[in-house]
Amino acid sequence: MLILIAEDDELILRTVEHKLVKEGHEVVLTRNGQEAIEKIKESDFDLIVTDIMMPFASGIEILSAIKRHGKKVPVIVLSSMGQEEVVVDAFDLGASDFMVKPFSPNELILRIKRLTIK
Amino acid sequence: MSFHHIVLHELILAIVVVLILVLLLIITVLGYSFYSYRILHNRHSWKQIIEYKIMERVVGSDGNDEQDREFSRHLKEPSFRILFLEILVDSGRKFSGTAKNAINRLFYDFKLEDEAWRKLRQRKAYLVAGGIQELAEMKVEAAIPEIKAKLNDDRTVVYQEAQYAMVTFRGYEGLEFLTHFDKPLSDWQQLRLLSSIHHIPELSDVQAYTWLKSTNDSVVIFTLRLIRKFRLMAFYTAVYELLDHTSTSVRVQAIRTMQAIENSATISQFIACFDQQPIDVQLEILKSMKVARSKESEDFLKEQLWNNAAVSIKIHSAEVLVVLGEGQYLREISQKADTYDELIQIIKHALQEKKC
Repeated sequence: MLILIAEDDELILRTVEHKLVKEGHEVVLTRNGQEAIEKIKESDFDLIVTDIMMPFASGIEILSAIKRHGKKVPVIVLSSMGQEEVVVDAFDLGASDFMVKPFSPNELILRIKRLTIK
Repeated sequence: MSFHHIVLHELILAIVVVLILVLLLIITVLGYSFYSYRILHNRHSWKQIIEYKIMERVVGSDGNDEQDREFSRHLKEPSFRILFLEILVDSGRKFSGTAKNAINRLFYDFKLEDEAWRKLRQRKAYLVAGGIQELAEMKVEAAIPEIKAKLNDDRTVVYQEAQYAMVTFRGYEGLEFLTHFDKPLSDWQQLRLLSSIHHIPELSDVQAYTWLKSTNDSVVIFTLRLIRKFRLMAFYTAVYELLDHTSTSVRVQAIRTMQAIENSATISQFIACFDQQPIDVQLEILKSMKVARSKESEDFLKEQLWNNAAVSIKIHSAEVLVVLGEGQYLREISQKADTYDELIQIIKHALQEKKC
């Protein structure tokens, strides 16, 4: 499966990448929201994992772009504590699931599995 | 002639000395710049090496021998170890579960404890605070007595970090410092402490009742927030008694807390005490009535709308009446001939708010 990860924290980005590659997925990494939107326009991903707060464009803007381009792809949103209202906006824009940081990478993999089995 | 010769000689000597000093200054500045550049460059490349090591542990993959050797070589440098500890603590805040445990194991495997202890025993406040933070984040229980002693430190950054560390270690029980705490507990610190408490043990009432009676207003406010967070219904009467507290801020928080743990008497108690309260508390009562949406407050709100002298109270009362579904009543009185202009404007504003 082709998975896009949009995250500006290098450690989280690399950790999730390694976990997903280990699971046999193909992974595309982006470090800011604008780059992620460009990738979404170019390719059809099977799943997207995005942080909420990112440089140039937020996770919310990524979700809006997905909707605007008519792409149907499950999105898992990574948020920080205290971003509950933004998470509600994310669900309104079609997010499938969310995780609050600090998070367990193993749990993220389980959620990805659950979403991609459907 | 000889005099001029001596003066010229001394002048040349002075110029040479000045030139040497300027040269030395240039060399020092260049040397310092190079040193700073090296540190910056090292930090950047070291950060990558360290993050890779952490990532390796978190995902459970083994690095190659060459990388391990390079890592071990760097570990001998004190500044590398300090950076490693900083990044490790920061990384610990990003992950939970087994990933977090793997990060904690790195701390012990590479014996970074010494660095944290050293910081704790420094003189500079920010270093001491950093040491407390690192030892708490890595759950070094042996540090508890020393951190506990820092609760009485005069420096804000130190005692605040010690408070947070005690709560990190012991949860609710770590709050025992509140009993004798006489300095203001900042809003930010209150939120930090609250977010670290995930559970309140049974039979914890005695301490919390003591804190509600504290002479430190910020301790009382923090306790009210705690009661709200965990919906501690048993404290209802104690909270109600705070409505005659000397501090308006405490009364405002008491109203919010009563609303959060409300019972069938709450609205009538709000109504009964309304006239004795300062305007900030009255406004808080109206906000709570808006959240409660109880028909019991309807007549009271109409009374305030008509007869209260304060415009802000009239506005809030009208807004709550709209929320209670009294829009029609408001429209009718706004169209009556004997309704004064100010009231008509207030009603229009309230009805407009609802539309927005």
